[in-house]
Amino acid sequence: MNVDYLSMMVILPILASIFLLILTSRLNAAARAKFDAPVRMATFIISIAMFVVATLMFLGEIGGVNWESIAFNTFEYQESYVWIEQLGITWTVGVDGLSFPMVWLTTLLMPITIIATWNEKSGATYFPLMLMLGGALIGVFVALDMFMFYVFWELTLIPMFFLILKWGGKDRKYAAQKFFIYTFTASVIMLLGLLTMYFLMDTQTFNMQEMVVQASGANASGVWLGLEVQKVLFIMLMLGFLVKLPAAPFHTWLPDAHVQAPTGGSMMLAGVMLKMGAYGMFRLPISLFPHALEEFRFIIMMIGLVSLVWGAIVCLGQTNLKKMVAYSSVSHMGVILLGIASMQPLGWAAALFMMFAHGIISPMLFAVCGAFKHHYHSMEIGAMRGMAKHSPWLATSMMFGWMASLGLPLLAGFVAELMLMVAYWYAYGWWIIFPGLVLAITAAYYLWSMQRTIFEGGEATQPPESLHGEPVPDIDNSEKIAMLLLAAFTILFGVMPWIFLDMMDMWTRSAMAFLGFGGA
Amino acid sequence: MSSHNGFDSAMIETLGPELTVFVGLLLIMIVPNLGNGTFRIPGTSIRLPWLFGGTRFKAVASPRLPGLLAVLTMALALFQVVWYLLDATSADGQDIIAGGILIFKVNMFSRIFEAIFFAALLLAAIASLDRLPTGPQKSDDIDVLFNNRRQADFYILMLTSALGMSVVALAQDLFVLFVGLELASFSTYVLVAFHKESRAGSEGGAKYFIVGSVASAVGLYGLSMLYLWAGSLQFDVLATTWAEKGATSLSMMALGFVLVGFAFKISAAPFHFAAPDAYSGANSPVAGVLATASKAMGMLGLMRVLLIITVPEANADGSAVWIGLLGVLAAVTMTWGNIAALGSENPKRMLAYSSVAHAGYMLAALTAIGAWNWGLVDNAGDAMDVVVAALLFHMFVLVFFKLGAFLVLGVLEMEGGASRLSSLAGLGKREPLLAVAMFLFMISLAGVPPMAGFLSKLLVIMGIVEVATGTGSLSSIGDAHWVWWLALLMVINSAISMFYYLRIGVVMYFHEPEEGRRGPLASGASIRVAIALCAIGTVAFGLVGGELIDLCRDAAESLR
Repeated sequence: MNVDYLSMMVILPILASIFLLILTSRLNAAARAKFDAPVRMATFIISIAMFVVATLMFLGEIGGVNWESIAFNTFEYQESYVWIEQLGITWTVGVDGLSFPMVWLTTLLMPITIIATWNEKSGATYFPLMLMLGGALIGVFVALDMFMFYVFWELTLIPMFFLILKWGGKDRKYAAQKFFIYTFTASVIMLLGLLTMYFLMDTQTFNMQEMVVQASGANASGVWLGLEVQKVLFIMLMLGFLVKLPAAPFHTWLPDAHVQAPTGGSMMLAGVMLKMGAYGMFRLPISLFPHALEEFRFIIMMIGLVSLVWGAIVCLGQTNLKKMVAYSSVSHMGVILLGIASMQPLGWAAALFMMFAHGIISPMLFAVCGAFKHHYHSMEIGAMRGMAKHSPWLATSMMFGWMASLGLPLLAGFVAELMLMVAYWYAYGWWIIFPGLVLAITAAYYLWSMQRTIFEGGEATQPPESLHGEPVPDIDNSEKIAMLLLAAFTILFGVMPWIFLDMMDMWTRSAMAFLGFGGA
Repeated sequence: MSSHNGFDSAMIETLGPELTVFVGLLLIMIVPNLGNGTFRIPGTSIRLPWLFGGTRFKAVASPRLPGLLAVLTMALALFQVVWYLLDATSADGQDIIAGGILIFKVNMFSRIFEAIFFAALLLAAIASLDRLPTGPQKSDDIDVLFNNRRQADFYILMLTSALGMSVVALAQDLFVLFVGLELASFSTYVLVAFHKESRAGSEGGAKYFIVGSVASAVGLYGLSMLYLWAGSLQFDVLATTWAEKGATSLSMMALGFVLVGFAFKISAAPFHFAAPDAYSGANSPVAGVLATASKAMGMLGLMRVLLIITVPEANADGSAVWIGLLGVLAAVTMTWGNIAALGSENPKRMLAYSSVAHAGYMLAALTAIGAWNWGLVDNAGDAMDVVVAALLFHMFVLVFFKLGAFLVLGVLEMEGGASRLSSLAGLGKREPLLAVAMFLFMISLAGVPPMAGFLSKLLVIMGIVEVATGTGSLSSIGDAHWVWWLALLMVINSAISMFYYLRIGVVMYFHEPEEGRRGPLASGASIRVAIALCAIGTVAFGLVGGELIDLCRDAAESLR
């Protein structure tokens, strides 16, 4: 039996969420509250089912794919249907070593996010929106048609907009609009670039696979579309992805969105949505315009470096825990750009693995932030003093999250950072001082300061002021489960990175060869 | 291709939709007045019943009757038009000739415009069933609300505007076109001022009327100059004359004057000043008609004049004579509309400015057609078809989400005005489905997938880019035709427009409802049906717009 699992993983959650939303839309608030638990259960079951399917795909139980041997521009589980025939638009899905880790990550994070925010208010609306977000995100990663890609790219904005608007913090109105407008602006410019490219092609197609074939054919003997045009299109496309990533100086929407977003929204935003930017870079501009990439690699490197350093420095000055995590994300996304700019197979693999590792670690940090906010009614780092005595679970999770984020050995982030450093050294030599020093110093500083705030001070008899004298609780069971799961996966992929690294490595090496980059 | 000389049965068949509207018009005039009135033969005491006046019959005295008649008429006319469009066997292009002059031409192109007009008017008529007169005064008792006479007036005006619009769609002679335009315009002037009791209504109506008449007068002056120049106002004669004599100072001036007349109709800057007042003064369904059907009518006039008469071969590089002027107009219109919309606190004015911005996008597409014959385009006719089809698609789907947005405001108007952004506050809690529909309309207007507005904007941008990139071998983007920069301006403007469209969403879901607006919304099944139809159209044509695109392409081909 030939089941199109990928399309189902996109369409089913979206349809299910629309169904659930309509189901409860005509009820008043009290009646809808009764639906919170069943709706949560339904979304949880659907997301677990998706996770199971994705895992079975990975294990080769479905389709029997040998993930370590997927070459660049070949796709597994490929299916294609006519969508809008008149424009040559198709519904084409497929996965490769670049997109599958992201798909799996999305399916992993969805149930975990639901667990971590088990008691979110207005669940009858909240959980379907999470489900829609998940479906749209998978749609972005599996789309092999430019139109379909763009549709899902924008579709992710809508559930996230409402998640921030309805469940967000005090300034959620501003943050939700800023988030939407920033990414929308960048993506319409990207759209114009895509369309211009479409009309400049010899054989016009929306199919990304055919596009890459066409581009590489022309790039082999010259420069596809001419260097000047390639450079302009590269900039237009990269703009869309850089804002989404986000890289300095386009990152300012991220701290606002994160600080205001609810915990679940933040987890998905940091875990998967940011990676859409990096994924898009690899999928389109890098695969299509290698000459322009060569031209701009130094600029990309500088953008990455500035993001890394700027993110780290601004992070130091934060007193708001969530903002701090958000800026650390900016920093890590800079690392991805450095990996791309290194033009080494190892560097690209590092970038891919960073996408994956950050996709597990940052949701954990945001889950910690959410739990902290939930139980301490504050986001101020000052309120954490002596947390280890009041809430040992929360304190341990937080410490673990930071360790992972800062790249401690045997945790997932370390693998990516180490690979990056090696590749960066090959490519840029002594420039390595900048990222190396920044990473080392900030790591040391944070661990020291975290250790001081979390484990010292704050007598057991003196809970933080923001609690107004209430007893200090530790985190709920659901939060505990979510954090344990995330921590377990962080360790798993730190100790055994090859689980996904092999397919990423295969993809990057064949991509490099295909695009005509030697590497070292 | 068949032609009709004079009035025969085949002509009745050909002009079925128009005659349906005409018959419906007569029925609305007659039926509500049927009664037991008698006529006394002079000099005798014999009274003959002649059915008019007196005490009206119970069956026709219902205040809802004119509305229902109008809805039925429009639905029947729309059905015929759609039947024509979908019926592949019907012979395309039937001419109506009177006195040896080609008056009307019935083809896919004119029919698709009629579909736009009739769809918009049908939705507006459905939405108006529950709510006349509209506007801020809430205290009026039900007798006033359902005053039969006024009901009839309203729907008569709607049908006359439908008739005028279809004349514009069919006309093959500038003078006939102008007569249709004026018929439609005068009906809309009165419709805008229909709510004469309110200050906003009478102010908007007066402003719209005065500016509109000036624009018409200027346009008419242009027509007379064209007549002086060519000796005829027939499209084909004008086209041949243009090809022979080219652009002379007289013809260019005439063209400029005619453009002013149409630019007012599509509310292009700087002729848009009356639009925000007119939209906010009119009741919402009427404002929706102004923003969709009336605008499509202006666009139709522009297309006829620019694409049929002035065959674009005047500039050295093969682009049209008017391309520079129109490009500037497009750029100014879209930017002005969007920036003005940013600052408006009245949702109807905001929608009016957004409609100005959309006029700018359409003008940008027209500008691109002006470049259709320049050096780099290899198959000029195809390129033109693509852009025209994109424009048709855009105007068609605009009916759903622009009119739909006005109708949602119409629901709010029923409980006392929708002239402040805060009237929308809390809609998400008060009636979630209505808020969802409004949000869909907003993001569709902004061009977010998978809404119809995205597909239409995509088609327009694709059309512009296709013309601009020409044969596809550019050494740099600077070698593309400059209309490419209009596409860039268009996407930047889309991004700007996101601010005010999103604000509606934020107000609906974030703000607490105003005092006095906390309860459930005013009831009204028919307006909700109309909104639901709009919402379905917005989503459906965005997801599966292929058939409609095909239809628009066929229609575009029959323009040439």
